[in-house]
Amino acid sequence: MNAIVTANEPADRLIRPGEFGVDPVLSVRDLHVSFASEAGTVRAVRGVSFDLLPGRTLGIVGESGSGKSVTSLSVMGLLDANARVEGSIRLKGRELLGLTENELSKYRGNDMAMVFQDPLSALTPVFTIGDQLAEALDLHQDLSRKQVRDRSVELLDLVGIPNPAERLKSFPHQFSGGMRQRVMIAIAIANNPDVIIADEPTTALDVTIQAQVLDVLKTAQRETGAAVVMITHDLGVVAGVADDVLVMYAGRPVEKASVDQLYARPAMPYTMGLLGAVPRPDRGENRRLVPIQGTPPSLVDLPVGCPFAPRCPVATDECRVAEPDLVPVAGNEDQLAACIRADELAAQGVTYDQVFTVDESAPSVLADVPRAERAPVLEVTDLRKHFPLTKGGILRRTVGAVKAVDGVTFDVREGETLALVGESGSGKTTTLLEILKLEAPQGGTIAVLGKNVAELPRAERRALRRELQIVFQDPMSSLDPRLPVYDVLAEPLHVHGWSKQRINDRIAELMKLVGLNPDHVDRFPSQFSGGQRQRIAIARALAVEPKLVVLDEPVSALDVSIQAGVINLLEDIQATLSVAFLFVAHDLSVIRHASARVAVMYLGQVVELGDTEAVFTAPRHPYTRALLSAVPVPDPQVERTRERIVLTGDLPSPAAQITGCRFASRCPTRALLPPEKQQRCDTELPVLTGQDHTVACHFPVSPENPGLPTKEN
Amino acid sequence: MRFILRRLANYVVMLFVATSLTYFMASFFMDPRSNYLARNPRPPMASIDASLTAANINDKTPVLERYWHWLVGVVTRWDWGLSPTQEPVSGAISSRIGASVQLMTLATVLGIVLGISIGVYTAIRQYKWQDRVLGSLSTFFLVVPTPVLALGVVIAAIWINQALGFRLFYVTGLHSYSGSNFWLKLSDLGQHLVLPTIVLSIITGVTYHLTQRTYLLDTMNADYVRTARAKGLPLMTAIRKHALRPSLIPTTVQVAFTVAGVFTGAVITETVFAINGLGRYFITSIVQNDINASVAIAAFAGACTLVAALLADVAVAWIDPRVRLS
Repeated sequence: MNAIVTANEPADRLIRPGEFGVDPVLSVRDLHVSFASEAGTVRAVRGVSFDLLPGRTLGIVGESGSGKSVTSLSVMGLLDANARVEGSIRLKGRELLGLTENELSKYRGNDMAMVFQDPLSALTPVFTIGDQLAEALDLHQDLSRKQVRDRSVELLDLVGIPNPAERLKSFPHQFSGGMRQRVMIAIAIANNPDVIIADEPTTALDVTIQAQVLDVLKTAQRETGAAVVMITHDLGVVAGVADDVLVMYAGRPVEKASVDQLYARPAMPYTMGLLGAVPRPDRGENRRLVPIQGTPPSLVDLPVGCPFAPRCPVATDECRVAEPDLVPVAGNEDQLAACIRADELAAQGVTYDQVFTVDESAPSVLADVPRAERAPVLEVTDLRKHFPLTKGGILRRTVGAVKAVDGVTFDVREGETLALVGESGSGKTTTLLEILKLEAPQGGTIAVLGKNVAELPRAERRALRRELQIVFQDPMSSLDPRLPVYDVLAEPLHVHGWSKQRINDRIAELMKLVGLNPDHVDRFPSQFSGGQRQRIAIARALAVEPKLVVLDEPVSALDVSIQAGVINLLEDIQATLSVAFLFVAHDLSVIRHASARVAVMYLGQVVELGDTEAVFTAPRHPYTRALLSAVPVPDPQVERTRERIVLTGDLPSPAAQITGCRFASRCPTRALLPPEKQQRCDTELPVLTGQDHTVACHFPVSPENPGLPTKEN
Repeated sequence: MRFILRRLANYVVMLFVATSLTYFMASFFMDPRSNYLARNPRPPMASIDASLTAANINDKTPVLERYWHWLVGVVTRWDWGLSPTQEPVSGAISSRIGASVQLMTLATVLGIVLGISIGVYTAIRQYKWQDRVLGSLSTFFLVVPTPVLALGVVIAAIWINQALGFRLFYVTGLHSYSGSNFWLKLSDLGQHLVLPTIVLSIITGVTYHLTQRTYLLDTMNADYVRTARAKGLPLMTAIRKHALRPSLIPTTVQVAFTVAGVFTGAVITETVFAINGLGRYFITSIVQNDINASVAIAAFAGACTLVAALLADVAVAWIDPRVRLS
């Protein structure tokens, strides 16, 4: 097969329609989208082609700015008026490009429907769920009021909303995020569409809710027989739901293959890089993540040649001459890749670790010191923080309390990373804020470097602040845009009274430490990419040589390929400086990779605490088990075979009065217990028990026989 | 309902405190005695004192005693006291409120309706020529001081009158016809009202245009409008059905307070067009050291504002389910 196809040749030849004797419901050919911007023309999508067969799921994967969302919005015709769309989009054989808004709106919601990323803002706040569902039905079908109502109840029931008939009268704000996304799916499938486009449908949701919503989406697809386009940056989600995958980079598809093929035998170096960069939640071996060097190119000013060439370790001079087309890989005609070396790479069967090189991790200074002999840096015992709920206008009275943090116990030792993990509302952030205050907590004790913060004199508290630093989630907003990097880094040093010469030396040292060029200290944060900015934030935290750095979701705002570099950096820093990290994250894969110990939080309580390996391989709390089973694994084989524990319902409100175990209402283990034992779960609050691996459960899961409770605790 | 009653009780207390404070402040800072002392020939001291005592504004009486006397009058007889000229304040105010209401009602309604409509019209046509022209016009009127605008309108009207050869527009007052023919009376009122109504509508309309445009632009680009389009509503219908109502929530609050302004009048416009409304009366009473009138007007304006606040709460609760109390 001739590997080089000129750009003029029709792409149809490459993607054979009617592969299984079925006509594609949606076929996109050579789609180009550009926007006019102040910086110039942004070429957001450049030549996307794909066919979507009925009942199949196509995953479109890419990092931010790769053009995946723009592709989906142009199919729906929902782009802004300043977008220029060229090419062809055919839905069941009818061309959609060039249709007027009114003509297009006949197809939207009827033949093709869309589920958006943020369920919190996707529903109109002033109308009831019932009205919004009915509107979708009335637009495309001629139904009586009763039929509309019956169908709405049926739809809500299908997507798993309890008491659907009553919930029709509810407003969106009365639903949780996961429930709202279910409503969105119900609206999307209301008219039995042929195509459902889901644009990052679970990105804004917690991992257990994500598992529920992905299940609902599968049910919806089964019920309607629709083809699904699943757009996501999460390689785990794609592995679980997609049949075929399209990988996009800089507005172009760079690889297209069946899901198994793509994960097992990627042909394009970028795909390999992505797979190497993503941490695996299911593997314990302490493999170094493989970051892709550099950053994606600007879509305004694309380089000549392959856009990935500047970041590609196997790029040759030929790569920088012309942009390669998406062509079949020799030896496997179903796999398409846009790389002139794809055939060669595929033939050799190389994987990411052969293509991408990664520095060895720095040796740890404290490697030989067992944990028990290391000094504790932070000890938190039975921490409590309740926010009063008040009622009444003039005379306020307390009617209850939001128990944001209610009995949190853990310790962090020198040079180790403790991860706090939990879903939103579990109290992670409140815990951090209480620790950072360095004041006497509402309940319980906090000791930093062995000193109880409640008993500290003022001067010592001030001195102790130096030992405790923080890195925030979003490097875009945590650095003052008007301060050059030098001032950002010098500020904490000034506060602690360093001399000018010492500051200068220290800043150069810090820049090198976090892998940035020390000559760039006079630049402003906006001149750096997201990953580089997070490095600056890390340098700022490390400036005053703290003993403990609190990392609040430090990589969740970064793309996978960038994230890997930052995680590796954190590992190296810890190894050389033996600083301790308190790492808060919701991404369990990152946690398994980056932390030595993990504390699982649920509704303001630590429910399980232990070494990361022990907790991940043999979780003892039913919640931990459910949480781990909900994490999507970036491996289609694993995804297909493993059994998932899908929790029912949402996290209860932290204001709810729960006397027994917090998790009892959703616990799969409790459901299997005889009533007299359930009684205990409902009335008695479990506390952390155990030696090194502690768990707060009356009937913890047995490690040998998962699913069944062991002897009573 | 219980919520509204509780709010109301809250407001009554607030109003009482505010009015009492105004009473004390007015009593300390205003000096009605100087009105008499400045007269030529100056009346005898005894008669000045007698007049001041009769109006309960004599600074020789302790202020608490005056306050008590005044309060009893207000609460038991709804008697808001006398001005230094011995004229009852209650009557003077009610006639002025009447004038202000005649002046303001039409202008306010027109201003709000036109302002919101133009705001919606230009938001949908963001950056098109209609939006640019109307936007520049509104910004122009926003920066022109009211007296300048009012005088400009007056000059234009006089010019038209001269060009026509008869008096089409009246530039002062509210009435000049004194017969009993209803239609003639109405057209006479109309001829007087046209000019101030133009001025006031422009002033009100301009702010509504600019704010409503911003609010609608905010909601127009919201995710839920995109959802509505994804359901199959064409763009304009999606905006009308899903973006308009949320965008009216902040406007509603503004409307409620503007409506309260109908009763308290417009100081500058009333002055320029020589209309004896409440706004002008307030200024005059302050200048003339009229303690009782100032306090009564302040109390009335306060009451109007609180009623507006209550209206705003009710109206917002009506459009926005998120603030409805469970």
